[in-house]
Amino acid sequence: MIKEFNMLITGVGGQGVILMSELLGKAAVADNLRVRGSEILGMAVRGGSVTSAIRIGDEVYGPLIPLGKCDILIGMEPSEALRNITYLSKSSLVIFNTAVTIPFTVSIGKSEYPSLEEVLEKLGKVSGRIIQLDAAQIAQAAGSLLTTNIVMLGALFGTEQLPIKIATIKEFIQARFPAKVAPVNIKAFDLGYEVCRQAVE
Amino acid sequence: MKELTISSDAPGERLFVLGNEAIARGAIEAGVQVAAAYPGTPSSEILETLASVAKELDMYVEWSTNEKVAFEVALAASICGIRAMASMKHVGVNVAHDPLMTASYIGAKGGLVLLSADDPWAWSSQNEQDSRYIAEQGYIPVLEPSSVQEAKDMMADAFKLSEQFRHLFMVRSVTRIGHARSDIVLGEISKERRKGQFTKDRTWLVYTPREARINKPLMLERFEEIKKAANTLPYNQLKLADGAKLGIIACGLSYSYTLEAVKWLGIEDRVSILKIGTPHPLPEELVIRLLNSVKEILVVEELDPFVELHVKAIAGEANIPVRIHGKDLVPRIGELSTGKVTQAIAQLTKSKPPVDFAELDRLVQETAPLLPWRPPALCAGCPHRASFYAIKTASKRVARDYGKDIEPVYPGDIGCYALAYNPPLEAVDTTVCMGGSFGIANGLAHVINAPIVAHLGDSTFFHAGIPPLINAVYNKANITMVILDNSATAMTGFQPHPGTGYTAMGEETVQLKPEDIARACGVKFVEVVDPLDLKKATEAIEKAIRFDGPAVIVSRRLCTMIEQREKRKRKEKVIPYYIDQDKCSPKCNACIELLGCPAIIKQGVKTIIDSSLCTGCGVCAQVCPYKAIIEEKA
Repeated sequence: MIKEFNMLITGVGGQGVILMSELLGKAAVADNLRVRGSEILGMAVRGGSVTSAIRIGDEVYGPLIPLGKCDILIGMEPSEALRNITYLSKSSLVIFNTAVTIPFTVSIGKSEYPSLEEVLEKLGKVSGRIIQLDAAQIAQAAGSLLTTNIVMLGALFGTEQLPIKIATIKEFIQARFPAKVAPVNIKAFDLGYEVCRQAVE
Repeated sequence: MKELTISSDAPGERLFVLGNEAIARGAIEAGVQVAAAYPGTPSSEILETLASVAKELDMYVEWSTNEKVAFEVALAASICGIRAMASMKHVGVNVAHDPLMTASYIGAKGGLVLLSADDPWAWSSQNEQDSRYIAEQGYIPVLEPSSVQEAKDMMADAFKLSEQFRHLFMVRSVTRIGHARSDIVLGEISKERRKGQFTKDRTWLVYTPREARINKPLMLERFEEIKKAANTLPYNQLKLADGAKLGIIACGLSYSYTLEAVKWLGIEDRVSILKIGTPHPLPEELVIRLLNSVKEILVVEELDPFVELHVKAIAGEANIPVRIHGKDLVPRIGELSTGKVTQAIAQLTKSKPPVDFAELDRLVQETAPLLPWRPPALCAGCPHRASFYAIKTASKRVARDYGKDIEPVYPGDIGCYALAYNPPLEAVDTTVCMGGSFGIANGLAHVINAPIVAHLGDSTFFHAGIPPLINAVYNKANITMVILDNSATAMTGFQPHPGTGYTAMGEETVQLKPEDIARACGVKFVEVVDPLDLKKATEAIEKAIRFDGPAVIVSRRLCTMIEQREKRKRKEKVIPYYIDQDKCSPKCNACIELLGCPAIIKQGVKTIIDSSLCTGCGVCAQVCPYKAIIEEKA
């Protein structure tokens, strides 16, 4: 029995965060797990910050992860991982994509983007384990930049901590995409999985 | 893999859904036959879901022009004995307020349910009003779910309760219900389909003072019956712990946070909990039993102290000496969370908090300076960006003639275009409510001396823009009204509206043109422009502002998100623009500072276009003083 397992996916509108949580949720239900979660849509998207929580377990009631109780934080983008630092604790694992998405406020000089070192240093103070990967590059190697979110999903499973079976999530990835692009997405998943598994070891 | 869907008649099976899909499923299980709504976050997916299965399940589903009409459509069906619902966001309930207050006198024949989707923290709204007060004002009972599963169950039951008590019911959802995801256990789908029958009954349906006086006491009787029944409805549950000093009354979603909080603090056995699923009316007997069993009470609810005030009234009336806490410990602003509820309970029970919340606050403050500001923005290629550029250029030209320091004023409205309040466009001076742009402009015209250029979208125009447009004509307000017509209700997810030529159920219908309506309403200056032609659009808007009397500009260009989608379908290639670095002056930045397009970015000193984002709208090429922005060769 799983009591409580919390995942937070963070990113920017348009990066496929919602699709990742849909796939995770469906797969979890297929594996007979209880799932709760929530996300912010509407005004908050359109290039703004997006977070989606997926919580699995029999002692989960609310749709939000309590502060400090995130087991795995997935950052589709470094600064968005950092933005959600208060969900982390020493026992949390952070996986983030090093490819940055610079907001237009930086271009017009209204704000600054942190360096990767600053992001790592801050996250490292709170969380015990951080895995970084260039998911954009891996996605391109898989065949399409559009699979970046599936690379990150693969990386999430590469931690080998998830209560969801790999076969199940792959089944849902396969079913979610048209037959023509499904293999590219499966490849993206496998590549992400492998990179993360090696990093964990 | 056999996949279940929202319309599968598979009782007992589990399905992973969005909260709003669960709400729709509840209505489907109840055999709802008529559903009407106006889109608004966080409620839109409810009607979208119903529309997607309407034909298959023999339902009538419509996007109405606004929430008032939506509610009246549902009310009419109920009067004819059919199960009906209207769904809307919290501020939409304000629009429906007028019929609502008399509908409660009418009650219901066919089950009638109003779904209000409240938005604590105003994630996608102009305020965080608590719709339970509106319900109270109209003697409308409220069901408030604690989870996605319960949202589905309550929705299904609401229709039955409405028929049982012959009264209108409200289901109050919040963002973290409607936009939560969860597995739900499906129930059976009612296959009953009734035939609508209108029975003439003046005393019941024609509200002159006589009928108001006849029906109000009947309504109060119905409400009293519901009040008694609240004590035995399964949504209210009292769990007394032996020797507990603290009792927690948790309403709706707050119940889920409370369960997690007491577990986190390890005090499950030491507190009594009353779960509230009907904040209005409260289960008085259960409340009194709890009040009598403990020394202190904590009321946990989101937004205003609605339950708290009623619990205090019950305690006063019953003369129970118990200390009642609520908004002194639980925030009145924003959403609640397990953390916030835990802090409140820890303070009251003097328990050690499971995490150092002060440390977390420090961490937030420490991290904040490092984070880039990432507000939502108009999409690359959004035609609104071009419209705003033209509006600003034209109004500034005219403003100079008004006087040296005169600034044009831009009353704005509800929709994607509200995002233009951010730099660098900064072209929105007021945003209040649907249609408020034209209304505010009407008032400004009589009190200030400056060009007044108001804007709203096409869907908003049909919703609430026409009465203030007529008002401007009638009362001779010298204003310019720009309708940003992107043929979409874009912000809420591209729902069809009277200007799109098709209905919620996908049927073709007449396509109304805002310019025809403006002309018919007596506006003497009406022009249609393509915003992507900046020069022509700017000239037309300048003429409109200089026109003596109300003027209308329809700035028409399809929403870029729909256009890109259609291009992909047609297998048409997007031809992006690029910046010729030999011609570009690195210090100029005009394209960035004038437009703020997410596709134009700085790479060191260089300005470049991200070709993966560029839609090829060509607006930046028109503003570049060096002619350095060029279309790539196809």
